[in-house]
Amino acid sequence: MPDALHPAFLFFAGALLVALLRGKAQALVALLVPVVSAVFVIGLGAGDGWTVSFLGYELQPFRVDRLSLLFGYLFHIAAFIGLLYAWKAGDTLQRVSGLLYAGSALGAVFAGDLITLFVFWELLAVTSTFLVWGRRTPRSVRSGQRYILIQILSGLTLLAGTIIYFVDTGSLEFSFIGLESGLGAKLIFLAFGIKCAWPFLHNWLTDSYPEATPVGTVFLSAFTTKVAVYALARAYPGTELLVYIGAAMTAFPIFFAVIENDLRRVLAYSMINQIGFMVVGIGIGSELGINGAVAHAFNDVLFKGLLFMSMGAVLFRTGTMNGSNLGGLYKSMPITTVFCMVGAASISAFPLFSGFVSKSMVVTAVLHEHHNVVWFILLFASAGVFHHAGIKIPFFAFFAHDSGKRVKEAPKSMLIAMAISAFACVFIGTFPSISLYRILPFAVDYVPYTATHVLTQCQILFFSALAFTWLKLSGLYPPELRSVNLDVDWSYRKLLPAVSRGVYAMAKTSRAAIDAGGLAILRKLGQAYYGLNGPASRLARTWPTGSIALWAAVLLGVYLVMFYT
Amino acid sequence: MTSEFALIAAPIIPLAAALLVSLSGKIPNLRDSFSVLAGIILFGTVVSIVPDIMAGGRPAFTVVEVMPGLALGFLVEPLGMLFALVASGLWIVTTIYAIGYMRGHEESNQTRFFASFAVAIFASIGVAFASNLLTLFMFYELLTLSTYPLVTHQRTDEAMRAGRVYLGILFTTSICFLLFAVIWTWVITGTTDFTPGGILAGKAEGATVGVLLALFAFGTGKAALMPFHRWLPAAMVAPTPVSALLHAVAVVKAGVFTIMKIVVYIFGISFLASTGSNQWLIWVASATIVLASLVALTKDNLKARLAYSTVSQLSYIVLGAALANQAGVVGGSMHIAMHAFGKITLFFCAGAIYVAHHKTKVSEMNGIGRQMPITLFAFLIGSLSVIGLPPFGGSWSKWFITMGAYEAEQMIPFAILMVSSLLNVAYLLPIVFRGFFLAPKETSDDGHVGHVSDHDGPSPGIWKIGALREAPLFCVLPICMTAFGCLVLFFYASEMHKMLLPLGAP
Amino acid sequence: MADSLQKDEKKYLFDNPKNVKRVLYGLYTICAGLFLIDFVFHRHVEHTAERIYGFYGIYGFVACVVLVLLAKEMRKILMRKENYYDPEGEE
Repeated sequence: MPDALHPAFLFFAGALLVALLRGKAQALVALLVPVVSAVFVIGLGAGDGWTVSFLGYELQPFRVDRLSLLFGYLFHIAAFIGLLYAWKAGDTLQRVSGLLYAGSALGAVFAGDLITLFVFWELLAVTSTFLVWGRRTPRSVRSGQRYILIQILSGLTLLAGTIIYFVDTGSLEFSFIGLESGLGAKLIFLAFGIKCAWPFLHNWLTDSYPEATPVGTVFLSAFTTKVAVYALARAYPGTELLVYIGAAMTAFPIFFAVIENDLRRVLAYSMINQIGFMVVGIGIGSELGINGAVAHAFNDVLFKGLLFMSMGAVLFRTGTMNGSNLGGLYKSMPITTVFCMVGAASISAFPLFSGFVSKSMVVTAVLHEHHNVVWFILLFASAGVFHHAGIKIPFFAFFAHDSGKRVKEAPKSMLIAMAISAFACVFIGTFPSISLYRILPFAVDYVPYTATHVLTQCQILFFSALAFTWLKLSGLYPPELRSVNLDVDWSYRKLLPAVSRGVYAMAKTSRAAIDAGGLAILRKLGQAYYGLNGPASRLARTWPTGSIALWAAVLLGVYLVMFYT
Repeated sequence: MTSEFALIAAPIIPLAAALLVSLSGKIPNLRDSFSVLAGIILFGTVVSIVPDIMAGGRPAFTVVEVMPGLALGFLVEPLGMLFALVASGLWIVTTIYAIGYMRGHEESNQTRFFASFAVAIFASIGVAFASNLLTLFMFYELLTLSTYPLVTHQRTDEAMRAGRVYLGILFTTSICFLLFAVIWTWVITGTTDFTPGGILAGKAEGATVGVLLALFAFGTGKAALMPFHRWLPAAMVAPTPVSALLHAVAVVKAGVFTIMKIVVYIFGISFLASTGSNQWLIWVASATIVLASLVALTKDNLKARLAYSTVSQLSYIVLGAALANQAGVVGGSMHIAMHAFGKITLFFCAGAIYVAHHKTKVSEMNGIGRQMPITLFAFLIGSLSVIGLPPFGGSWSKWFITMGAYEAEQMIPFAILMVSSLLNVAYLLPIVFRGFFLAPKETSDDGHVGHVSDHDGPSPGIWKIGALREAPLFCVLPICMTAFGCLVLFFYASEMHKMLLPLGAP
Repeated sequence: MADSLQKDEKKYLFDNPKNVKRVLYGLYTICAGLFLIDFVFHRHVEHTAERIYGFYGIYGFVACVVLVLLAKEMRKILMRKENYYDPEGEE
């Protein structure tokens, strides 16, 4: 037995135990799983792990280094917060799939070879789907079906890429791959891209995350995309294409976020925007870029989780997530309001909040490498993120026009979970060098708190706020409307079904024609062959035999023609 | 027990079981005990041969030599070993399930049913261990004959019509093409023995190879290669344990096994690949994979959907054989076992839902998981295995077949394998999410409201715990066993792979 | 409807328009201050555009206005009824 214990197994075993328990015991055990596992993970150091021989391959299902450890810590924190948040709002399904899902994410980041990665990659897909389905509405069920298809598509792309990469290079190692090593490498890149919600591949995220349960979305926001960011950082650092993909990711979703009414969908779009910063950092590939990317991933889990938790609490209490139906909730959910604003400040990268210390690393890295256009886009996106996630979310949920909703404050367990996240956001934002910077993959000599940084960031943010105020007061700001905005999903929710219905109808007609024609021939053949003159039903019965003779003749004929021409 | 002795005993056990079952028809409990007992003994016997095979042994036994080069005999090699393990292992669970199902459903003529079942297993073991084409052909035909009474078990007009399609297609293809191909091979080579590396190299060339391959592939109607697949959905009228037998344990697996065995031991993979005559079979198998999946997508009847899924999955194995390289044949052979466990779980579940709630349509499955969580959870596992997702067995066989496709530079079949997995998701998972996450339909035309309709009265063996309405225990237990098997195979795959590797030796 | 609900309620922070005004004036003051600092404080500059006085403030303001106005135009093309994808409503 290998000496180091793989945390994923603790999570899986924990999930099994949780499935058997009920009530408070269940919630408690679920909450203890990440704690117990964390004790083991803290004891791990770079170089730990094990290798096995399987199917004739030498695999490394467990590999520990600084990069994987950082995500290992992060996922333990995220799982703990998520399960605490689920104390009251969760059920067996959500706790079990949440644990399995977190375990799969841990398995993926500790995977040392591509086969292990594939295994956990697919497990992530399956286990997370139950968090979408768990809301048990026809809408969420359909959304979950689309979600799992796209997630499995990503897994299959990874499988295809891995096979090609292995046959071509003989290597299954999950380390630097780079785009230059052929088709396999490109497919693996694409597989990561689907899970990373690249432009045009992003729609699964904005489609499904807002349809999940309050607890489900908190879990979902923590793992899938962060595993993808990890995978890109591991296998494709310094790939220039990523800089442009990331820049596009930071920019386009904020337009959707402005006009979207479902506030959790706004957060989903803003999530793509944040991942964009990470992807840019990985694309830059310098030590500062990579550090910035993974640091931002770490912070994003915390502040995006916090925002999703606050919105989840609103959904849990009011039953709606539409900006048009909400407003004035600061009166009845004041604590949640404060936590939401901490999350908003963090995602907007206000000084002293966590987003500031990581996003600025990426932006600085971009500037160092002289990607001027990208730098302008990132500044635009920084302003935009404040606009839609920093202001819009708290404003329309808790302030704005009073909806008249008077509800109870969020349950204590939810508040505690939010408090932990909020504290972490402020702590990391205020003291980065004694917290986050110590666990980054490369040594940090970056100083976030310079007068210039603080000043410029404040300028950009407060003038964004000014713009919002002006637009709102002058009535130029688009009102919140109950609506659906078309996105890439139109292609597979409207176009594809229409096309396949058409093709199916055509296929049906032509098959009926072939059957009718074929049957007439068969009848003649049947009469000649069997010499039967009985009723039609009798002849019809012989058709299998007749059709076989016909098919055989046709196939042999076709084959011979093909062979001799 | 030496391997040779086990080899002789293996076919005798199910035959004896058939006899005992027929004699003890008056005492159902005794009769069914014989079936289960024989299953366990047979499985033990088959397992006892494994170490010898792993060590490179090839136990053989000749029954009678008709004339030089034409004999009735048995020989165990890795592929046959695998098939025999699958058939005998799943016979036990299928029998247990059949007891629960047939009693729960109050079927008549159970003695005939179990006796035919035993004979079918006898035939399967014969197919698995046949040492030459002649022996294989005889057992292949016996398998068709012995399963006919099972397909037509209900004696309704529909069942009899299905039975005619079943016999019609299987007999015609085997006599017109398979027998012809066997004789042709014998004429060309003077032998019909399965030989590592094949017997046709140097004896046949050009168009002959392709035509022979066509005769073998389409002659093996049990492999359900399109367009000779219709017997399979037609046979869906049979009781569910029969469907399990047809789709997972014996019949279809005997078909694809035959094709695999012929490709490996009659053609020889390097010879076949060098002639290029396998190209068309790659295309036909690929087309079958995708077309059958598409048809499955349109079927609302659960068993019909599963039947077309089987047609599609069988062609994975045929494709693996047709690729004629190591990864292809090893992956294809592994898929015999992987698909068997996955698909038998799915059929068991379909049957359990039918026994407990008389539901056959996917569109009626809403909310079924609240009453049958165990069954539906097993259905999820079976589905994931059939789709090829970890941590279930199906993922490894698809891994190797896909790798074989890439190594053979067959990029379109490669892509089709990927697309097919997505289609599998699309037609299998709706049953799971409808069952678990959608509320039962509020009203239906016949006025049943909200709850599961009991218009035929509750089934006698229904298993009630609280709000649960599971199928009888004898149905649920095998479901759990096969679903667990899917998980075990994920980890056991390495051993299986090791055993099957000699198949890919050039 | 909302008004009727609030009749008996206590007054909350922003029910008093004065408080809203205070927040707004606070924002205006901060913005003005931040803009003016640029003329006094010498920023560390890496990019030529940064040399412009008040660059970050202007960029932030313009970016947001452009963002919102463009997004508003997008609505004309992209917005559909709420039940666009599920016209029959719940299954």
